Amino acid sequence: MVRYKRAWAGLVLGLMLGFPPETFADTGLRIQVVGSTTVLPVASRSAQRFMQSSKARILVNAGGSGVGIHSVAQGHADIGMASREISPNEKIRFEKSDLRTHSVGLDGVACMVSSEVYQAGVRQLTRREIAGIYMGKIRNWKEVGGPDREIVVIDKERHRGTRHVFMQYIFGNALQRTPGTLLVTGSNNEEQAKIAQSDSAIGMLSFAWMNEQVKAVSLQDQGKEFLPTWEAVQQGQYPIVRKLNFITAGEPKRDIKAFIDFVKGPDGQKIVKESGYIPIGGKD
Amino acid sequence: MNFSIGNYFRSTFSATRNWEPLGWVFAGMNLIFLVFAVGLAIFLLVESIPIVRLEGFEFWWGEDWWVGETYGALPMIWGSFIVTGLAVILVLPIALSGALFTSEYLSPPFRRRVKGVMELLAGVPGIIYGLLGVSLLTTGIKDAFNLLDGNTLFTAGCLLAIMILPTVLTLSEDALHSVPSEFREAAEGLGLTKLQTAWRVVLPQSLSGIAGAMLLGIGRAMGETIAVMLVIGSLDRVSGFNLFVSGQTIPSKLGREAAEALGSGEHWSALMGLGLTLFLMVAVLTIFGNIFKHWSNR
Repeated sequence: MVRYKRAWAGLVLGLMLGFPPETFADTGLRIQVVGSTTVLPVASRSAQRFMQSSKARILVNAGGSGVGIHSVAQGHADIGMASREISPNEKIRFEKSDLRTHSVGLDGVACMVSSEVYQAGVRQLTRREIAGIYMGKIRNWKEVGGPDREIVVIDKERHRGTRHVFMQYIFGNALQRTPGTLLVTGSNNEEQAKIAQSDSAIGMLSFAWMNEQVKAVSLQDQGKEFLPTWEAVQQGQYPIVRKLNFITAGEPKRDIKAFIDFVKGPDGQKIVKESGYIPIGGKD
Repeated sequence: MNFSIGNYFRSTFSATRNWEPLGWVFAGMNLIFLVFAVGLAIFLLVESIPIVRLEGFEFWWGEDWWVGETYGALPMIWGSFIVTGLAVILVLPIALSGALFTSEYLSPPFRRRVKGVMELLAGVPGIIYGLLGVSLLTTGIKDAFNLLDGNTLFTAGCLLAIMILPTVLTLSEDALHSVPSEFREAAEGLGLTKLQTAWRVVLPQSLSGIAGAMLLGIGRAMGETIAVMLVIGSLDRVSGFNLFVSGQTIPSKLGREAAEALGSGEHWSALMGLGLTLFLMVAVLTIFGNIFKHWSNR
């Protein structure tokens, strides 16, 4: 065995040199942020800015609101991002984790359609029409004043925050089953891309994901029309509004608290605005 | 197939009787692999017990998957079969003729270059193919077949075919090329043309190697997650033999829901049940592949 001693020593030394010392650093300095892709732009931009003046290392990962809440409750992450409130079910399940919600911004969710449909005249939809489309009762755009084309109905994964608030408004049930669905998407980026690629798609997205190919229609409900604009959200008129939340298990401490305070503070709220959301007034 | 734990240890001991340290290292490494393989199967089995208790055989026959209510895996199992089958049907003729051509017709220096390209492509990760699929294949197939939408089982099958083609091609070519040149010379001596030699002499000699190549390709196709997830539409439904609708495979389902389900009782167990199903599907496939190899070697 003697002649292998050197080899072993070399192997161990090599492994030690291979990992930079930070690999084993105190975990208190590393903050894991996981969850909603809606909140993600705010968190990652804030993290970049925050790290310029702090020793803490912040890692931001996507996954969706459900994943954010689960991860923080089970200790896989320090901060969960959620674009919805913690559901009653989750409150019961994670009672021991003592989850706390910290709101960092406001967001509106719009019913989005492909630009081709929008150009062809579909500028508004009633709640009943959207429900009909998602239940598979309305299958062609011409039934709601659009072109004679079948509707590509795009849903989101069941646990996504955007889906929760959208379905809550349309059906009064966040977990509504939607037999009319043709495609299921995950992140906002994925859904945005699928709507843009299609010429007859309908979906649900935050205002921040509107662009040239993905257009928001206004909502009609009981004779009133709600335009999908920031002004309408700010004035409290637009119906599908939600808080963008950071979730922690218990009261946040040290660096985690410092980061959340930073996002809630003036610099962070500027980033919220730059990311396409509405800043929140200081307290939650 | 005379494998047993007893044999394993006996051969280990006989090899290391003279106290060669390196022999022990090899044995240890081999043991690590065995522990992983067996451990994985046991883990999947144990983790999926709760869902089988809850759903019984309905877990495999049920068509409805709604977290918190019912878990029916048939849409995912069916989707995996359809997509993998399609990929195999598309790949087999291309891979076989490509491998024959590369092995039997190309000059050695040119062959080496072609092989290099194949091996390079075989190492490209799934996400790259997935992104290509999203940006080109979905829209292309939508326009070509005049579909409502391009995210379909057919798209996923085509993408998988493209993905596994280099692997199958290069391994089949290895199998063809390793046929000893005496066979070719003998065939030529009998007056067979080059095509006849390749088709009637070289190909039958390398059937078991080609089967092995196909098996590896199918294994990769069955397990591919991200590329499929991006183009298949991710809708849980049993679509019969209609290829031009959205669907779901076992890995794409796992990819979509694993993070949400982590450590959450029955949902997690249901996903582990899916994993076990996939594991068994690949195992059955491998066993059949080995039977075929034995049969074609005789």
